Amino acid sequence: MKLFKSVIASAALAVMAGVGVAQDLTTVNMINPLPRSTVFYPLVVGEALGYFADEGVEVNLLPSDTSIPYVAFVQNGQADLAMLDQTETLTAVIAGAGINTVYEVMQNAPEGIAVLKGGDYAAMADLSGTTVGLVSDRDRAFLQAALSATGGSIDDVRTVVLGESGPVLANAITRGDVSAIAGSVFDWATLQAAGIELQLITPEELLASPANTFAMNAAQIEPKREAMEAFLRAWSKGIYASIGNADMVEAMLRKAVPEEWEVEAAGKSLLDGVMPMNTSTTPRIGDLQTDVWSEIQPRLVSSGAIEREVPVTEFLNDTYIDAANDFDRAEVDADVAAWRAANM
Amino acid sequence: MALAPDPMGVALRRGLTHAGLFLGLLLLWETSARLGWLNPLFYPRPSDILLSFGRIYVTQGNVWYHLYVSLGLVFTGFLAGSILGVALGSLVGLNPTVRRFLQPYVIVLEATPRIALAPLMIAALGFGAPSKIAIIMLVCFFAPFINTLSGVINVNEEKLELFRALGASKWQILRKLVLPDAVPVIMAGERLALTAALSGVLVAEFIQRDKGIGSLILTYTRNLNMASAFACIFTLTIVGFLIFKGMEWLDRRIAYWNHDADMARVSARRKARWEAR
Repeated sequence: MKLFKSVIASAALAVMAGVGVAQDLTTVNMINPLPRSTVFYPLVVGEALGYFADEGVEVNLLPSDTSIPYVAFVQNGQADLAMLDQTETLTAVIAGAGINTVYEVMQNAPEGIAVLKGGDYAAMADLSGTTVGLVSDRDRAFLQAALSATGGSIDDVRTVVLGESGPVLANAITRGDVSAIAGSVFDWATLQAAGIELQLITPEELLASPANTFAMNAAQIEPKREAMEAFLRAWSKGIYASIGNADMVEAMLRKAVPEEWEVEAAGKSLLDGVMPMNTSTTPRIGDLQTDVWSEIQPRLVSSGAIEREVPVTEFLNDTYIDAANDFDRAEVDADVAAWRAANM
Repeated sequence: MALAPDPMGVALRRGLTHAGLFLGLLLLWETSARLGWLNPLFYPRPSDILLSFGRIYVTQGNVWYHLYVSLGLVFTGFLAGSILGVALGSLVGLNPTVRRFLQPYVIVLEATPRIALAPLMIAALGFGAPSKIAIIMLVCFFAPFINTLSGVINVNEEKLELFRALGASKWQILRKLVLPDAVPVIMAGERLALTAALSGVLVAEFIQRDKGIGSLILTYTRNLNMASAFACIFTLTIVGFLIFKGMEWLDRRIAYWNHDADMARVSARRKARWEAR
């Protein structure tokens, strides 16, 4: 009986403790294309080092592939943050979606146009009259801009959405069903790891552009300030902790997303590809590059990807950036050293 | 006099033939892959798939959680969809007024590709289990609905007349005639619904790819890890087969009068019980 009572008491305490922990953490809902993945490793690193929990937030990813634009989920409140690319952001702003870009996750574009190395196509101009494969519909605008940058137009090519399935992409490019694939570094990494040699023909001027950014409902900037600052600070710590610690990031990813590391070469290739993307190039981590946002817009307009230019002050809002960078670097270094000592 | 065939021997022979055929196919596949006739990027070797089974189930063990999530959704969505289907099917079948008003909407909804409604479900119900269950429920609803409706309205007219002539009440007609006639058809609908639920969960997890076996398949195919992707797909095949067999077993238990052997078994049991009194 005594044992039974203590079991019940322990169970009750455990449940209450669980509830207590759950109540302490604020859930941040984030819509993006992928579940926890090597592609966005700062989240995994931040979680492994306990930064999100320390900041009082838990991250609920809403990885989705719906035909409904991500921004709709930010507007209806289902998502606090949406990970948008430049064209999605500008299109939403032009449509009057009332969003603000608050943080740049990737400050150089992971997108690109790839062709088979040593194949019939070696430059953007060669694609005229051919069929170009798109990994997703989101890549159409990038292709449009890339063609426009080299004097062509989207009307010069036929496009087909291939999806992100590795075998389909591999088949399409190796059999010559498509001349090129418009996708991202994540797509090339696995193809290259499988021995398919690719060559990127992306115009230089498109490489420096904000890629994946966090956007949120402008009306929620103040009400959600505390949770957002905490979330972005933990993300920034994840970025900072990873710099120069690729082996640690790899160890964390192997544990968190083992399915991406079953094929050793694919995991490594993917990590190598996304490391530079996830490392901030601005002095403040995740800062908004107003000049880059201004520079890309005329090109996007001329290619037809967006209708008109938008003043950057209308949607870039760096109100969280200082708070996102307000952490002790030495403490993070110490955490990294401690994690290494315990796990590696 | 010809000897009656030994049923055990026949079953064993059939089993061995099936196993031989299956092994032959696997061998052909393995050989073709090893000789380079099949591109390993798309068609991994069966031996690699076997190794992947070991990895995802034993050494790495990452599939269990996803399987648990998916099966939870399958059974919840199936239960919700079939309860709604049978209830609404009965209501529509037994009540001509309700049938007149409701049937056109149901037909229109059935003609609408359910998968196309999936993003709208997410928009309406939000991300997470509720919208996934709603997608599965929608996929599962129609087979039980249509079968229940058809089972209820297609009552044997001669028997019905006999029941009426003997002065049976509406309740007696329902219990003794309509239900026994309808249950086997309803069970066939349930069987279809449960297997459809597996496709439903894949659609839901392909769209909301946070967890579940569908999400895992996408991750594996994206990473060109086809051996593990096939291991997940074969897992679903095995689960689907077990579900189908389970439903067959349930069908024989519930609608036993529709199967001679089961009817004989139940009759014998009842007879024994009666004689023991």
